[in-house]
Amino acid sequence: MSHPLEPRLAAYLAGKMPDTSDVAVDQLSRIAGGASRETYRFRLTWREDGETRERRLILRRDPPASLIETERRIEFEAYRAFRNSAVPVPEMLYLEEESDALDHPFFIAEEISGFQAGPGTLWTEPYLACHAELGRRKWTILGEIAKADPQALGLTTVLPPATPEDSWRRELDHWEGVLDDDETEPLPIVRAAIRWLRAHPPPPPPRLSVVHGDYRTGNFLYDTEGGVHGVLDWEMCHLGDPLEDLGWSFNPVWSFGRGLVGGLLPRDEAVAAWESASGLKADPDALHWWELMGCVKGQAIWISSGKAWIDGGNREPIMVYPPWALQNAQDRAMLKVMGRL
Amino acid sequence: MTPKVPEVLGEIAGLIGRSLAPGGDPAEKGANLGLSAMLLSLAAQRWDGMAHALVEENRAIRPILARGEEVMGKGRWRAISQADEDFRISALEKANAELRAALLALHEAVETADGEAARELEALIWAELRASTERRMVAGSPV
Repeated sequence: MSHPLEPRLAAYLAGKMPDTSDVAVDQLSRIAGGASRETYRFRLTWREDGETRERRLILRRDPPASLIETERRIEFEAYRAFRNSAVPVPEMLYLEEESDALDHPFFIAEEISGFQAGPGTLWTEPYLACHAELGRRKWTILGEIAKADPQALGLTTVLPPATPEDSWRRELDHWEGVLDDDETEPLPIVRAAIRWLRAHPPPPPPRLSVVHGDYRTGNFLYDTEGGVHGVLDWEMCHLGDPLEDLGWSFNPVWSFGRGLVGGLLPRDEAVAAWESASGLKADPDALHWWELMGCVKGQAIWISSGKAWIDGGNREPIMVYPPWALQNAQDRAMLKVMGRL
Repeated sequence: MTPKVPEVLGEIAGLIGRSLAPGGDPAEKGANLGLSAMLLSLAAQRWDGMAHALVEENRAIRPILARGEEVMGKGRWRAISQADEDFRISALEKANAELRAALLALHEAVETADGEAARELEALIWAELRASTERRMVAGSPV
């Protein structure tokens, strides 16, 4: 039985491909996960120059209520900016910001197939031998993102402006505001962390960088040899302190209980790979600040996920999983980073 | 646990019922049922010990608040001394929320207070916060 979105998607794409005929969509199937966007893979077929052609594509559509409130244009343009760079990303094809075609805004991209993204697969054969190499690739690519010039990439016209001096405060204000809006019970540990962060701000970075915003194990496509073939989920991309992504990637909840950052690599090796690629130095005190900031951000996201479920905007089970499975772990992560565990 | 367990279980029951109907995306159905299974497992882990953990935590916080009033005087951290009498989880969670809000206010105040007694009280609060995460641990927690 075909998916009800298939004919609507085909009609939309036919309008974007005027020199073709017989545009059709089939095999549309939702990809598990994706609490902030609905992600589907599908096959597009069409006739052009007397030949039948096909391409595997990805549809990323806004859900009724999201775990993360973001602008899809930012994500689309961030992917485009890094296309054909040292940072592997899929090709972006169409961005639709109106809701007429598929009820919610969406974009369409190429599918990079044949690789894994979910962290669970990493702890099974044949991936067990690739962790160190994958870790080095992971933090080398993150260093490449930090090294990139946002202006040269054309992202300073898309991303909200920022300054080195206010990058820490802007992030802290934003995520504290999310907690203020969405908490449904007292959260003494994250509030203590926020007080510490305000009392001990980091020095301004030497320059602003593109910040991916959710760079972690689970948000890139990997192979059995430790290669990375696509960095995904740029929806929280912004300008900021280059240490922000590094701190987020070191959030202890992303260690998956394996005692290594990202579950992949000793911390000092990850820092060395990042420094080598970025040409920057990771000041230990500033990095510690951003690690704790990442814990606060994580908790805000888990809490807001539960709030979206409670308010009824999105009743999918994936919205309950973060507050039930990660909220306490995130509290423990904050205690650990603050030296209290 | 937030969202509340009874509401989540009700939603999962509805989801399972809808999944039995023909049609729909099998991958989406499978993903939702897999996640629902994980949520049921998490609820099952906390089920037996939840009331006990809440009573234990409420009992642990009350003397800290009483000590807070001795050291810091009266404030938003006022001592809440009445023991739990209603042992429904909803009632225990309500009492727990009041106590944790008072503990949070006391923590904020004591951080900037001087003196040995303030430092001892701060250490007591951190120890209780650490213990609170032990009470809420589930199998497979990454930290």
